[in-house]
Amino acid sequence: MRSRALVATLAVVALGVVAATANAGANRAQANKLTVWLQVDAQSGWPDVVAAANQQFQQQNPGWTVDVQYQNWGDHLQKFDATLAGGTTPDVIEMGNTEMTKYMAAGAFADLTSNKSKFENSGTWLSGLAKSGQYQGKVYGVPYYAGSRVVTYRTDLFKKAGITKAPTSLEQFMADAQKVAAANKGVKGFTPVYLAGTDWYSALSFVYDFGGSIATTHAGKWQGALGSKASVAGLNAFKQFFSSTAPASAATLDEAHPAPYDVFSQGRAAAIFGPGWYSCCVGTKYKSVTAQFVMPSHVDGQPMPGFLGGSDLAVPAPSKSQAQAIQWIADFTSTTSEKALQAKGNIPNATNLLGTSVNERAAARSWFVPAAKHWVDVENGNILRNMLAQILTGKLSVQQAASSASDNIASVLNQP
Amino acid sequence: MGVAAETVSGWSRRRPLTWRRVGAASVPYLLVAPVVAVLGAILGYPIYSLVRLSFEKYGLFELIRHAGVDIGLANYRSVLHDTVFWHTLLRTVVFTVANVGLTIVLGTLLALLLVRVSGWVRLLLTAGLVLVWSMPQVVAVQVWYWMTNVQNGVVNYVLSELHLGNFFQHNWYATPFSQLAMVTTLIVWGALPFVAITLYAALSQVPRELVEAAEMDGARGWRVFKDVTLPIITPVLLILTSLSILWDFGVFTQPYLLIGQAHVNPSNYLMAIYLFEQGWFASDFGRGAAISLLMLVIVAALSVVYVRRMVRIGDEPA
Repeated sequence: MRSRALVATLAVVALGVVAATANAGANRAQANKLTVWLQVDAQSGWPDVVAAANQQFQQQNPGWTVDVQYQNWGDHLQKFDATLAGGTTPDVIEMGNTEMTKYMAAGAFADLTSNKSKFENSGTWLSGLAKSGQYQGKVYGVPYYAGSRVVTYRTDLFKKAGITKAPTSLEQFMADAQKVAAANKGVKGFTPVYLAGTDWYSALSFVYDFGGSIATTHAGKWQGALGSKASVAGLNAFKQFFSSTAPASAATLDEAHPAPYDVFSQGRAAAIFGPGWYSCCVGTKYKSVTAQFVMPSHVDGQPMPGFLGGSDLAVPAPSKSQAQAIQWIADFTSTTSEKALQAKGNIPNATNLLGTSVNERAAARSWFVPAAKHWVDVENGNILRNMLAQILTGKLSVQQAASSASDNIASVLNQP
Repeated sequence: MGVAAETVSGWSRRRPLTWRRVGAASVPYLLVAPVVAVLGAILGYPIYSLVRLSFEKYGLFELIRHAGVDIGLANYRSVLHDTVFWHTLLRTVVFTVANVGLTIVLGTLLALLLVRVSGWVRLLLTAGLVLVWSMPQVVAVQVWYWMTNVQNGVVNYVLSELHLGNFFQHNWYATPFSQLAMVTTLIVWGALPFVAITLYAALSQVPRELVEAAEMDGARGWRVFKDVTLPIITPVLLILTSLSILWDFGVFTQPYLLIGQAHVNPSNYLMAIYLFEQGWFASDFGRGAAISLLMLVIVAALSVVYVRRMVRIGDEPA
């Protein structure tokens, strides 16, 4: 009896395991096919630039095809891990600049140091972005593009509220927002600014604006810095900004659900704070009355330091078409390509290409995440998002939430 | 089969201990061998690999080199010393009990309803249930997400129109409790068809005479159900309950997609998400393997009671 019950239990459990074991489809490598993983940003924002690079590559390599597979930020690393395990990696992969260090440290990418000169403008790459693709003096990542964060706003609504020029200080921005709110009282669900509460890229800008930071190194160890006086002052300013200008219902939302530009295009917000390319999707109705300004600092006349987001392109070490991969990256990051990316509101990868757009002016003051091997685990563990939700919902005081997140971050970063 | 068995036993009575007898005795084993071989290949080998992996340090560095480092029980120790593991386990057990309980109770009520309604209503209901059943999980999550969307969700709209309160831009995912409650509605909704239809089939096996006899003796509603219907459908209920426990304890797709990657954190982890975050997201595959084996043991322990009773019922003479 007992043994039968055990066998039956095991059989039922086994069935459950079989049912739960989903198998990800493998990427079979094919002769003369270059597999490229780009993020969906390229698919929605600049498919023409991708197509042009593919065309150029195919002219240089007759008989080759390029298979561009678009990935999502949320799960592309898990998929990449699976291909590393199976030896079926893509030949080129786009990596977020915050994701590079962990993979470079593990030896996941081919060393591109000797090929650096093949990439146009490699002598003048944006230093912040170039650094994210380098590890122990070697080049593993080619800067693709950077993006700063700006305020995208409705000129008509600002004018209607009697505001004639962009605010130059945080205080003025908040006062302007009040005027816009007052002028649009009748619009249901309207807030002057739409901001997702757990959008840590935006929130941490306030921290850096007040002289705070996420973590610092001290004698080879990471120390959390969010609980510091300056950081807490920044978080307090963020809380105040959020509660006086943004919808309370967004306190626990993230910046992808819903996309801020969707809220904007539905006429429910006069301003959104986020990447410069948000202007792409404000809706045809408001296209002509949409403009951007640099997010102002609490110090009058200065820009608020923005998160310098960006992407690198890397060649996974197991790729069997590394020479072609390098050539494709060279095509995709050529001056022509980068100029086209710039025209879409991105920051090109080299200083000699920089213009004077609002996006590029905002990049004058920027901040970046700690260059730690385990930083990506802090991001994926949603430590910062959790802290912001606790702060904005009032579940914990700013100091409590910040100190606890700070300890958490230090312990993750100091893992072996 | 009957004839063959007789012949075999006839031989064995006359001529004990011959090769024929040995051959005959091995027939059942030969018959079961293909199944064992296939199961061993598709299940045994992966489980063997999983067990081996759980004793290794296997991170990104090892993944690229396809070779782990043996570290004994260190992965298990680190998991069992992790307070997040214990909180997650408790949360998952409560979650599983709530989900399985709701599924079985609502499923039984639906099945009882199916017995009572007229033919075409039953057809309509069954068709609806089958439609629910055939909806892929990912699609269902998306539909749920749209309906409960904070900006333009139809649920908020309808509740506000019905004057049940101000649900304008109500966020249904604001707290861990509300997040898991939304996941529960989705899972129970998706699990109901299987339970309801299976129980309806079981209910049709309840002899009408028994119910009538009980009613003649003055039993009504709940009493008839408890003392007549329930004992007869118990075996089916046990199977459904144990299967539901297996499904709900290890559920991943619905909570992960509905709550969203940006919002899963130690305050709302379920076991499968904890496994995914710690094993995959942190690229600590050895630790992930240890967590999944612990999960396997826990699920086996949770379902052993039901499976034992199931086997006991199977052993009883009909």
